Amino acid sequence: MSVLEIRELTKKFGDFIAVDHISLQIKEGEIFGFLGANGAGKSTTINMIAGLLRSNDGTIEILGKNIMKNRRFTKMNLGIVPQDIAIYEDLTAFENVKFFAGLYGLRGNELNAKTEEALAFVGLQDHHKNYPKNFSGGMKRRLNIACAIAHQPKLIIMDEPTVGIDPQSRNYILDSVRKLNEMGCTIIYTSHYMEEVEEVCTRIAIIDHGKIIAEGTKEQLKSIITDKKEVWIEVKTKEPVDLGEIKKIKGVEMASFHENMIQIQSDASINNLNLILEFLISHHIEIRALQEKEPNLETVFLTLTGRNLRD
Amino acid sequence: MFNVLHIMKKEIISGFRNKRTMIFMLAFPLVLILVLGSALSNAFKTTVSVSDIHVLYENNLNENAKPYFNEFRKYTEKSGIYFEKAGKNTDGMKEVKLGNADGYAVLDDKGVRLYTNGRNSIEGSILEGLFAAFADRYNLTAEIMKTAPDKVGIAFEKPKDDYIRTESLLPKKQPGAMDYYATVITTMICLYASLGASTLIQGERARKTIDRLIAAPVRKSDILIGKLFASLIVNTLCIALVILVSKMVYKANWGEHLWLICLLILTEILLSVNIGIGISMLSKSTAAARSLLILIIQLAAFFGGSYFKIENPGKWLQAIMDLSPLTWINQAITKIIYNNNLSIAVPVAAANIGAALLILLVSITALQKREGL
Repeated sequence: MSVLEIRELTKKFGDFIAVDHISLQIKEGEIFGFLGANGAGKSTTINMIAGLLRSNDGTIEILGKNIMKNRRFTKMNLGIVPQDIAIYEDLTAFENVKFFAGLYGLRGNELNAKTEEALAFVGLQDHHKNYPKNFSGGMKRRLNIACAIAHQPKLIIMDEPTVGIDPQSRNYILDSVRKLNEMGCTIIYTSHYMEEVEEVCTRIAIIDHGKIIAEGTKEQLKSIITDKKEVWIEVKTKEPVDLGEIKKIKGVEMASFHENMIQIQSDASINNLNLILEFLISHHIEIRALQEKEPNLETVFLTLTGRNLRD
Repeated sequence: MFNVLHIMKKEIISGFRNKRTMIFMLAFPLVLILVLGSALSNAFKTTVSVSDIHVLYENNLNENAKPYFNEFRKYTEKSGIYFEKAGKNTDGMKEVKLGNADGYAVLDDKGVRLYTNGRNSIEGSILEGLFAAFADRYNLTAEIMKTAPDKVGIAFEKPKDDYIRTESLLPKKQPGAMDYYATVITTMICLYASLGASTLIQGERARKTIDRLIAAPVRKSDILIGKLFASLIVNTLCIALVILVSKMVYKANWGEHLWLICLLILTEILLSVNIGIGISMLSKSTAAARSLLILIIQLAAFFGGSYFKIENPGKWLQAIMDLSPLTWINQAITKIIYNNNLSIAVPVAAANIGAALLILLVSITALQKREGL
C-alpha cells in the first residue's frame, strides 16, 4: 500500500520552476531517502507534502487520500521534523510535546500518556520538566523529533534531523529512525550526510533542477554507474592543479580537485591510469597515495548531478 | 473550538512567563504613574491659598457715606482684609510698589481708585472684586436716597461678610495629577499591547515553529483567534492590576463606574491587539512592525495627552488630537468619572470594537490567501 503518492507535482515561483512534474510512490514501511543539493527542489517538495506550500499542478495523496480534499485526515497522519529546531524555549520539554500533540486532537490522559511516551522514546523522560534553553544541541534535536511523533503519525518527514550535533546524538537519532520504522512508521529522510542515508534508507530518490533523476534502492542506484571507475589520487600540493589536460585523456569523464585530492571518474572499459600518472609526473606533481574506489552514493550523486551534495 | 482553547492556553502560559511583557505592562506603567503623578502634582492644583491682605486707603467720601465704608471695612476684616488709613506723608502708590501693602484705595464721591501690584495678581483681583461690590452697593444706596431716603439704611442694614464668593463651576470635578496620570498612562499602556501582539505570528516565523502549526490539522483562523484572545486576556489582567494598584495604593480617582471604564479599556486592548496583528501581517519583519507601531503609539500618546495635558489647543492641533484613539478614550473616561456621563462610553466602545473587527477580518482574509502563516 502506498503511504505517499505524488503525481506530476509542479511548483513555480514566478518564472522559476522549483519542482518540475515529479512523480513518486512511497510504500508502507519504507525509509525513503530524498537527496538533492541546495536549490534542487527537495525542500519545496517536502513543504508541499506537509501542506506548507500549494502546488501549481499535480496531486499528492497520503494513505490514498488527496491532501487538498482531505486536509484533516492527511495532516493527522503526518509528522514533521523540520530542519530548524522548532520548539518553544519558554515551555518545558513536556509542555512543548504536549502542545504540539494537542493540536492533533489528543485530550486529557491520552495526551499526557502519549507525551510521556514520545519523550521516553527520544530519551528525554528525565528532562521533561526542564526548559530547552538549558539543553544541548543533541537534546534539542531529540525534542524536535518528540514533538513530531507524539500523535503517532503513519508518515514522518525528517528534514536534516542530525544537523550540527555530536556523533553520539546522531547515532541515537539514527537508531530512533530505525525504531520508528520498526514500529510501523514510514519515513521520508533527507540529509546532507550521504553515509546516514546509505545507512538507514531502504530506497532513495535523487532530485536535481526540480526533477527526479534517479530512484531505487542503494544497490540499484550504484548499478547505474558500474560502467564507471573512480580513482582518488592524493598529491603533496594543496595548490589547485590544472585538470584540463587530464580531462582530455581518453576515457576520463570527470576530474575534480579537493584540498590535496584529485578525483577522477573514467569509463571502466578503458585503462588510462598509466596516462594519468604520466601526466602528473611530467608536471612535477608529487603523488602520495592512490586509491581506486568502489562506487558509493556520493559517486552516484556526483555522476548524476555533476556536483557534490553539499554544494 | 478545542484548538482555539489549546492555543490560547499555551499563549497565556508563555505570556505570563515573558518577563519583558510583565515589566512593560505592569512595572513600567505603575512607575510612570507614580513619577508623573507625584512630580507634576503642582501643575494640577486648583486651589491657591492667600494670606491676609493689607490695604492702605484714603477716605474722601462725604460725611453721609463714610459710615457705609466703615461698615464695609468692619466686615471685610472678618475675611482677612485689613484696611489702614494712609498717613498724610504716606505715598500709597509707592508702598504698594514696594510690596508693603497689597493695595492702595482712594475713595471720593466720584468713585474708587484702586492701585494694586501686578506681582500679586490674585490679591489685586480680590480687591478689585471687593471694591466693585462695594461700589455697587454704594450706588444702590445713592439711588435709594434720591427716591426714598427713609429706606436708605436697608442696603447696608444687614451687611454680609461675603462680598465676594467664588464658586467653581465644576466643584471637585477636576482630576489631580495622580488621577490624571492613572487614567492616561493606563490607556497609553493598552496601546503598547499592540507591540506584543505584533510578535504573535512573526514570533512563530522567527522560532520556525510556524511550520509545525501549519502542518497540524488546525485552521489558520483558529491559530490567529487563539493567539488574539490569549493576548487579550494577558494584557487585560495586567491592565486590571495597574488600575487596582493605582486605585488602592496611589488613591487615584477612577470614579464610581469603574466597571464601565474597565469595559471601555477592554475594547481599547482589543483594538490595540488587532492593530498589532494587522501591522505585523503587512510588515516583512518583526523589526519593521515594531518601528511602525512605536511611531504610532508615541504620536497617539503625545496628541492624546498621555505625557501632559494639552490645554486650549488651536483648531489644527485639536484636529490632530482627535485622530488619536487615546484622545477619545481619555475624554470618555474623564467624562464618566467627573461628569457621570455614562453614555459617552457607547460611541467610543463601538468605534474601538468596529475598528478591531475590521482589522481582524482583513488579517484573517490575508492569512487565508497566504501560503503558510
